[in-house]
Amino acid sequence: MPSGKRRSLVAALPWITPTLLLIAAIVLFPAGYMVWTSLRDLSEFGTDRGPAGFENYQRLLEFDALPRVLVNTVVWVVGVVALTVLISLALAQLLDKAFPGRRLVRMAVIVPWASSVVMTSIVFYYGLDPFYGIINHALVDLGVLDEPFGFTKTTIPAFAVSMGTAIFVSLPFTTYTLLAGLQAIPEEILEAAEVDGAGPWRGYRNVVLPSLRPALAVATIINIINVFNSLPILFTMTGSIPGYDVDTTTTLIFKFIRADRQVDTASALSVVNFLLVLVIILVYLRVVRPMRED
Amino acid sequence: MKSTRRTFRVGAVVLGLGLAASACGFGGDSGGGSEGGSQTLNLLVPSYSDNTKGLWEGIIKDFEAENSDVSVKLEVQSWDNINDVIRTKVQSGDAPDILNIDAFAGFAADDLLYPASDVLSDDTLADFQDTFVENASIDGEQYGLPLIASARTLFMNKDLMDKAGVTEAPKTWDELLAASKKVSELGGGVSGYGMPLGSEEAQAETSIWAFGNGASWGDSDKITVDTPEAVEAVSFMKKMIDEGATQDNPGATDRTPLINVFVQGKIGFIEALPPTVGQIETENPELNYELAPIPTKDGSPVTLGVADHLMAFKNDGDKQESITKFLDYFYSTDVYTNFVTKENFLPVTKSAAEQMDNPDMQVFLDALPDAQFYPSTNTAWSATQGAFQTLIGQIGQGKDPAEVLKAIQAKADEAS
Repeated sequence: MPSGKRRSLVAALPWITPTLLLIAAIVLFPAGYMVWTSLRDLSEFGTDRGPAGFENYQRLLEFDALPRVLVNTVVWVVGVVALTVLISLALAQLLDKAFPGRRLVRMAVIVPWASSVVMTSIVFYYGLDPFYGIINHALVDLGVLDEPFGFTKTTIPAFAVSMGTAIFVSLPFTTYTLLAGLQAIPEEILEAAEVDGAGPWRGYRNVVLPSLRPALAVATIINIINVFNSLPILFTMTGSIPGYDVDTTTTLIFKFIRADRQVDTASALSVVNFLLVLVIILVYLRVVRPMRED
Repeated sequence: MKSTRRTFRVGAVVLGLGLAASACGFGGDSGGGSEGGSQTLNLLVPSYSDNTKGLWEGIIKDFEAENSDVSVKLEVQSWDNINDVIRTKVQSGDAPDILNIDAFAGFAADDLLYPASDVLSDDTLADFQDTFVENASIDGEQYGLPLIASARTLFMNKDLMDKAGVTEAPKTWDELLAASKKVSELGGGVSGYGMPLGSEEAQAETSIWAFGNGASWGDSDKITVDTPEAVEAVSFMKKMIDEGATQDNPGATDRTPLINVFVQGKIGFIEALPPTVGQIETENPELNYELAPIPTKDGSPVTLGVADHLMAFKNDGDKQESITKFLDYFYSTDVYTNFVTKENFLPVTKSAAEQMDNPDMQVFLDALPDAQFYPSTNTAWSATQGAFQTLIGQIGQGKDPAEVLKAIQAKADEAS
C-alpha cells in the first residue's frame, strides 16, 4: 500500500531527519564538493578562477607516469591485503588455542595497532637507514649483510619494505576480526566434523573457513579501503625517492598538491581514486563472493 | 501565537548581535586600533633552528611591553609543514597577518598581500640592501620584506683530504671530481662529495651546479630550465654520480641528514649553509674543516643566494597600523641584528650589515656579490621548484639529464 507507506515514512521523518542531515553534511556534501572542485580552475592556494570543464581530468590522463602509478596501486593493495589476511588467519588460529601466556601474546599483537602509523613508519625508516640505522647495523653484525644496504633508497626495496610495514600495522585489526569469527564457531560443528572423519586440514577448509566467511569479508573490505587510502607509510618511507616509481594514486594526490601546486589536478585524481576503490571492492565482491549463502 | 513570539524574539537577538558587532567595527576604525582595545596580530613563522621560537618570543615580549595596544600571537611550524599549513589557512580564509616564508609571488598574484610601502615606515624601507629589494618586487612593486639571506659555500673535511692526498681546495668541476674520487676511494663508509638530490631541497644543489656553468632559471616573466648550459651542468652531476665520487643513491638523500653525515666526518666535500658552521660548533667541534668558494666549470666565482621574506596579509584590512608598528620594531637595527646573528644567517639591511662582526660569516659575505637567486618572483617558480624536488634525483637512477630537465620545463610551462 503506497499511501500507507508514505504516511509511515512521514511519521518516521522526525526521527531519521537528524541522521539524514548528518549523512548529508559529512558524507554527501564533501563528496559532492570534491567533484565540484575537480571541475574548477584553482590557483595553488585554492582561489577559484572559474570553471575548467574536464581540463583537470585531461591533464591527469596526459600524465606520463600514470600507468606505472596504477600498477603500483594494484600491487600495493592486493599484495598488502592478501598477505595481511593470510598471516592473520594463521595468527588468529594460534591465538584461539589455549596456551600459557596467551593473554600476553594477544596484547603484544595489539601494539602495532595502538601506535601511530607515522611513528611506526619513521621507526622503520630510521632503523633501515644505511648510515645510522639500527636494523641495518644488526643485519651487518649478524653477518646477513656485508655492508649496510639502503633499503629505503632504491625503488623496489623501498616499496617492499613499505609493504612490510603496511602489513605489520594491518595485522592487529585483521587478526582480531578473524579471532572473533573463530570464537563464534560452535564447538559442536568442529566435533561433528571430527567424528565424521575429517582430518585437521579437511576440517579447516570445509568447516572453519566457510564459517569464517563473514569475518573474512569484513576484514578484507576494511583492509582494502584502509590500505588503498594509506598515505603515511609510503610518504614517510619513500618520500625522498625521486620520480613516481614508488607512488600509488593516493600519494600522487599529495605530490600534485605539494610539489606541483596543482590543487585542481589533485581534486580530479581524488575523484578517480574514489571510483577506483569502489571498483576494487566491487571486483572483490563479484569474484570472491564473500557474502553468498551456501 | 507562541511561534510568532519566538520568531520575534530570535529576530531581536540576531539584530542586537549584528548591531553590537558593527558597533565594534566602527569603534575599531575610528580609534585607529588604539582606543578600541588591543588588537591581536597572528604571526606564522618556520623554525630555522632550535633558537627560532625563543628568539621570536623574546622579540614579541619586548614589543608588547612598548606597545600595550597590540598583542602578537606566535605560531611556529617546521619547514616540512609550513607550506601545507599556510595553504590550508589561506583556503579557509584564516591567513595570518604576518608570514615568514621563502616565496611570496603566489600570494601577491592572488592579491592577498599589502605592498611593502603600506606596512613599513620610509626609514625601514630604505634600509634594505638593493639586491634584495629587487628580488622581493614584482613589476617594480615590493611585496616581500627580505628577512634573512643565505649563501652556499664549499665545506671541506681537511683530515679526509690529507688522508687522500688532496692538498688544494678544488676550484673547477674537474678538480672537484678528481679530489672527490680520491676521498671516496678511502672506503670505510666515507664518501667524496655529498650530493643531496632528495626531495627536501634538490633544487638548491642543482642550481649551484647550473649557475656554475652560467645557466639561469629565468626571470619573473619566463622560467628557463631546459637550456644547453643547464644540461651540461646536470650531465656533469651525473658523471660525478656514475664515477662514484658521491655518496650512494644521491637521488634519495635529503640535505639535512647528509649534512649531519658531513658533521660526523664521513664526507669529504659538501655545499652547505651559514648555520652549518654553528651546527659543527655544537655537535662536533673537533671536526677539522675549512670553507672555500664553490667550484664552477671554469673556476669563476658564483653562489646560490637565498632570501626568505616576511609578508603582510590584507585579511579584513583593519590591522595595517598594528602590522606597521610591529614590523618597524622588528627591523630596528638592534632587534634585527640580534635575530640574524643568533640564527647564523646573513643580514639584508644596510644597518645590520655594518653592525655585524663575525669572522666565520666572512666567506659567505664575500660570496654574496656573486650570488644568483631563484626567480621566486615568478608565480610558476614554486611549481618548478616542486618539479626539481620530485624529478631531478632521477639522474641518479640512470635517467638522461636532458630528458629530466625537459620534464621539469614542462611542469614549469604548465604552471605559468
